[in-house]
Amino acid sequence: MPDATTLRGPRRQACLSLRAKPNPSLPAAVATALGVELPTTPCTHHRAGERGLYWLGPDEWLATAPAGAEDALQAALRSALTGHFAVTDVSGAWRSFNLAGPRAIEVLRKSSPCDFHPRAFAPGRCVQTVFAKATALIAGNADGDFDVITRTSYADYLRRWLEVAALEHPASP
Amino acid sequence: MGAGGGSLPRPSRSAHPTAPPAHPTTRRLPAGGRIDRSQPLRFTFNGRSMSGFVGDTLASALLANGVDTVAQSFKHGRRRGIVGSGTEEPNAIVDLGDGAHRIPNQRATQVELHAGLVATSGARRRLKRFAGAFAGVMPAGFYYKFFMGPPWLWRRWEALLRRAAGLGAVPTGADPDTYDKLNHHCDVLVVGGGPAGIAAALAAARVDARVALVDEQNEFGGSLLGAPQAIGDAPATQWVDAAIAELSACPNAVLLPRATAFGYYDHNFVTVLERRTDHLGATSPCAPRQRLHRIRAKQVALATGAVERPATFANNDLPGVMLASAVAAYLNRYAVAAGTRLLLFTGNDNAYRTALDWRRAGRCVVAVADTRASPAGALVAQAEAAGIEIHKAHAVIEAIGRKRVAGALIAPLSEDGQRLAAKPRRLDCDLIACSDGWSPAIHLSSQAGARPRWNEEGMMFLPGAPRQPTVCAGAVNGAMSLAACLADGAAAGARAAHAAGFGDARPRFAAPPVEEAEEDAARPLFIAPHVQPSSRAPKQFVDFQLDVTAADIELAAREGYRSVEHAKRYTALGFGTDQGKLGNVNGVAILARALGQGIAETGVTVFRPAYTPVTFGAIAGRDAGELFDAERHTPMHAWHMARGAAWENVGRWKRPWHYPQADETMHEAVVRECRSARQDIAMLDASTLGKIDVQGADAATFLDRIYAGSFQRLGVGRCRYGLMLREDGTIFDDGVAARLADTRFLLHTTTGNAEAVLAWLELWRQTEWPDLDVYFTSVTDHWATAALAGPKARDVLRRVCDDIDLSREAFPFMSVRSGHVAGRPARVFRISFSGELCFEVNVAAHDGMDVWNALMAAGEPFGITPYGTETMHVLRAEKGFIIVGQDTDGSMTPDDMGLGWAVRHGKPFGFIGDRSLALADHRRADRLHFVGLATTDAAAVLPEGAQIVAASTRRAAKPTTPRAMQGHVTSSYFSPTLGRSIALAMLTRGRERLGETICCPLADGREVSAQVVRPIFFDAEGRRTHA
Amino acid sequence: MLEIHCPYCGEPRSEEEFSYAGEAHIRRPQDPAKLDDRAWGDYLHFRSNPRGAHRELWFHAAGCRRYLNVLRDTASYHISQTHRVGESPEDV
Ligand SMILES: [Zn+2]
Repeated sequence: MPDATTLRGPRRQACLSLRAKPNPSLPAAVATALGVELPTTPCTHHRAGERGLYWLGPDEWLATAPAGAEDALQAALRSALTGHFAVTDVSGAWRSFNLAGPRAIEVLRKSSPCDFHPRAFAPGRCVQTVFAKATALIAGNADGDFDVITRTSYADYLRRWLEVAALEHPASP
Repeated sequence: MGAGGGSLPRPSRSAHPTAPPAHPTTRRLPAGGRIDRSQPLRFTFNGRSMSGFVGDTLASALLANGVDTVAQSFKHGRRRGIVGSGTEEPNAIVDLGDGAHRIPNQRATQVELHAGLVATSGARRRLKRFAGAFAGVMPAGFYYKFFMGPPWLWRRWEALLRRAAGLGAVPTGADPDTYDKLNHHCDVLVVGGGPAGIAAALAAARVDARVALVDEQNEFGGSLLGAPQAIGDAPATQWVDAAIAELSACPNAVLLPRATAFGYYDHNFVTVLERRTDHLGATSPCAPRQRLHRIRAKQVALATGAVERPATFANNDLPGVMLASAVAAYLNRYAVAAGTRLLLFTGNDNAYRTALDWRRAGRCVVAVADTRASPAGALVAQAEAAGIEIHKAHAVIEAIGRKRVAGALIAPLSEDGQRLAAKPRRLDCDLIACSDGWSPAIHLSSQAGARPRWNEEGMMFLPGAPRQPTVCAGAVNGAMSLAACLADGAAAGARAAHAAGFGDARPRFAAPPVEEAEEDAARPLFIAPHVQPSSRAPKQFVDFQLDVTAADIELAAREGYRSVEHAKRYTALGFGTDQGKLGNVNGVAILARALGQGIAETGVTVFRPAYTPVTFGAIAGRDAGELFDAERHTPMHAWHMARGAAWENVGRWKRPWHYPQADETMHEAVVRECRSARQDIAMLDASTLGKIDVQGADAATFLDRIYAGSFQRLGVGRCRYGLMLREDGTIFDDGVAARLADTRFLLHTTTGNAEAVLAWLELWRQTEWPDLDVYFTSVTDHWATAALAGPKARDVLRRVCDDIDLSREAFPFMSVRSGHVAGRPARVFRISFSGELCFEVNVAAHDGMDVWNALMAAGEPFGITPYGTETMHVLRAEKGFIIVGQDTDGSMTPDDMGLGWAVRHGKPFGFIGDRSLALADHRRADRLHFVGLATTDAAAVLPEGAQIVAASTRRAAKPTTPRAMQGHVTSSYFSPTLGRSIALAMLTRGRERLGETICCPLADGREVSAQVVRPIFFDAEGRRTHA
Repeated sequence: MLEIHCPYCGEPRSEEEFSYAGEAHIRRPQDPAKLDDRAWGDYLHFRSNPRGAHRELWFHAAGCRRYLNVLRDTASYHISQTHRVGESPEDV
């Protein structure tokens, strides 16, 4: 089915929570340590290869990388950063799903009150929002697919929710 | 008709009517209509097999099959027939399907016919019985009068009323269908797909706004579907088809037919119910039957049309009395003549179209009774030219007939229309089409907060000044001609799009030319006079669904109900599932006259969601069955499942409650698990406990302000029990905090409070102390936690951990170490909620399952047993450890709970709640204290929540009631370790009453006596914990 | 269902992402110990509860987890402004 929505996950990645007061040297320090540019525009994320860096709040980011990289990245961040910051390994806390296909947006719209229309949600955007009865971080990727990053304890529930939501591809929107 | 229908008065047609032929025999016309005669359908109604066509509604098919009576009325048990052709229908309310598939409360006028449809007019048998017994004894205000009657009488009535109150039957099983929800955002939401709505949608879409167009009918076009009319040179439906095709091709336009906008809420949030498979008649496993659309719009354009207002006259509920627009719609859209000999009763020009259409279809028009003395419009002239008899300044005052209209009394009106000028005379007819005017469908506008305003010129309520970004267009705005609706719609659409940031507010298309007949002024009557006063005349119905008559409303006015809202509640006017779409305005006019005031000052009641009934299934959506709630699972969930755990829901977490083996009872399982923990070794999945990582130079300073205790001088690697208080001094949460480094702590919270605690920390950091350098990160989901509890805990852990010195000296109670367990990085806490030697092993969630398995294997030689939350509760209760939220209820201070030791007064800043602990009320001597209870009968386990009273002093004396409550039981278990029941309780002055015997009266009448003891039953010295 | 513009996320979000956190700009006394029971009770329990413009604190719980100030009309539910903690509405 060309229309079918592909659902992958839940997948584990290396995840680091970064909290830091924005200061002039912060973007460079983070970019050096992680190899990803720090997103400073609210609700955006940057990617570099398999690494991602997501804006979660004015002083909060989530860094992702392939599983296993968490210790090295944490050490790199800790040595690069100065001033008041917090770096926490949260690799166990997050699982990520990937939704692809022309109707992936509909699956998101069944689950979240956010606006995912291309006019409002271009690739590079990410939002933390209500997702079904849980919450999630949703990111739009350059290929038009979406990552849905959720708390690990909700992964079983959301896997089932997404399967059911992706099941039906209505003839009319 | 109504919201979503974009309904209009009947349009004109230029062709001249022809003379009537002899009486036709069938109700279905030989040609015409939007039905597909090549696709006949069979369906059943009240057990009778009938036939119709694709394109029929259930109502049109019933009429075609000669069904006159579709219901019996709510209060009086009178025969009722189909009145309308859309949402406004008050009588033809049916149940569809049967068994679990049964859907009650469906309007036959909106049910698309499909093969095998099964419909029942649910009210039938039951109401007949009820009405037969009580007809005539339920005047207006019946409920209120009976609520005020003697209580014993009410009980008798209640059973009868309950049975009769609902219309329709409850489905007999769980709903087998699926439902879901879809969120939308758009620039312009257009409600109503009639000419005005379509024009509005086109205008907005052409300037590239994101548009949604919703309509409750199965096809767009609204009133144009029911009456042939030309737009430009072509039939109006061709214009509709072209417009819909253009919108469909628009990538940013969403078209939703079969979708009723039923709720208009704050900030332009509109809910729409879409019927997706109802018209197919089959349940599809993956396609939802109905979908609830939640639409957030920058601008809402309401093109909801208007509903024709019926005339009020005696016996106007007789089958065969219909809205003039409905008679025309059945004729033109469904090719069904709802009778043979038509009498038209109206006070406006456009109802004449029904008579002209009727004559054109070859049927007999008996006469027109026109309330006006000298109507002079073009349509009136056409009717006169066609030889139709017109009785000017006349009203139909009574319908005659038994099962259906057989005739009517008409009489000339006095000049003011309130009395009869001469005696009535009888006309023979079998169909009375009536139109007293039009009521714009202002429901959604009213829901959105706009107060309706009375328009004296149009004699109708119009939408009031909008309180939200709303525009109105077409008939809802009082535009009563097709040309006006098209122009109004296009202008409204362009204006809405402009307000949303698109275009220049000028519509990018010219409304096509439409030929309109000149119309003369209308003269609504609201109620036709009778030779008798309303109280004596045959019933003149205002609200058909709830059987409210003109006499009821006049009675309410006489009894002093001057406010329209009060009169509505007193008479139940507009309380039906149709929300009084037909009767409200007539009711207001009758009330106004009875009160001797105008309609404008009387006003109209506020409309509230839902515009039409909504199924619970659609409101629940996918949040049903296995997806009812968001279940949270720990990393070891699958293991617990495989082990056959019984589950306890703690917040959203699924936690093993106990692990029954073979045919063990819960009690037996808990006894076994408790013994294992006290004698050998047992293991609990403690992953659900809230965990917050706190970092920053001011971390200790911050925690000192948040916790009642002191954390400044806590050594690195050490743990401390902490109490968090609300600002009012009551206990908010508790848990153990560990200092991982000089500037880093790990906080444990209760399972259910994890998110609330994090929000609490952020509140103080963000709003009060932004100067403190501290950050919080939730790590609850990151860690999998296995609590090893029991005398053998050290021996077990030693087998899988070789890089932490587990000795008592090197790793004392209340400390934390890092190392590896089963080869995985681990953080091990020596803390205990069981009173045993305990190590809580924390590893990353993805290592949880492996480490759990390794610990089970390591514990096997020692008889390791997994234990659940019930055993955890018993073990902690034996030690008197509180559970916040179970032993406390939001009013308890640390002192109340005997936790004064965890409070440090005199810290440099103080702490949240500190000042409140000094409030006079918190220092009262007679507060509730946390105590233990030891029942006199060691086997008697008190129910949690049991009230405590003073024990009876004289054994024989019957206790007096009521006795003063002195407290209540908060936790209660049978302790296998002690071989007796134990309980924890809050008791007035409890700590001063150790040794006293109190009494708990139970719901079953027994009284259980117990001795007040200290709230610790086991190992009071804590030797085992420190082992 | 309100729509609240989050000043941190920089865009409107649906009410279900937020939780209400009470009246805003309630200043915690500098030295609570200096207050008598009545004055402390006023701080603890008494709020303005107006009909009309109301200065409120909301928490973007499912979003950026920041607290924000909202100026909301309690009669019409109209939200005239939202701003960051530490900023004040221009005019109430
Ligand atoms: Zn935000």
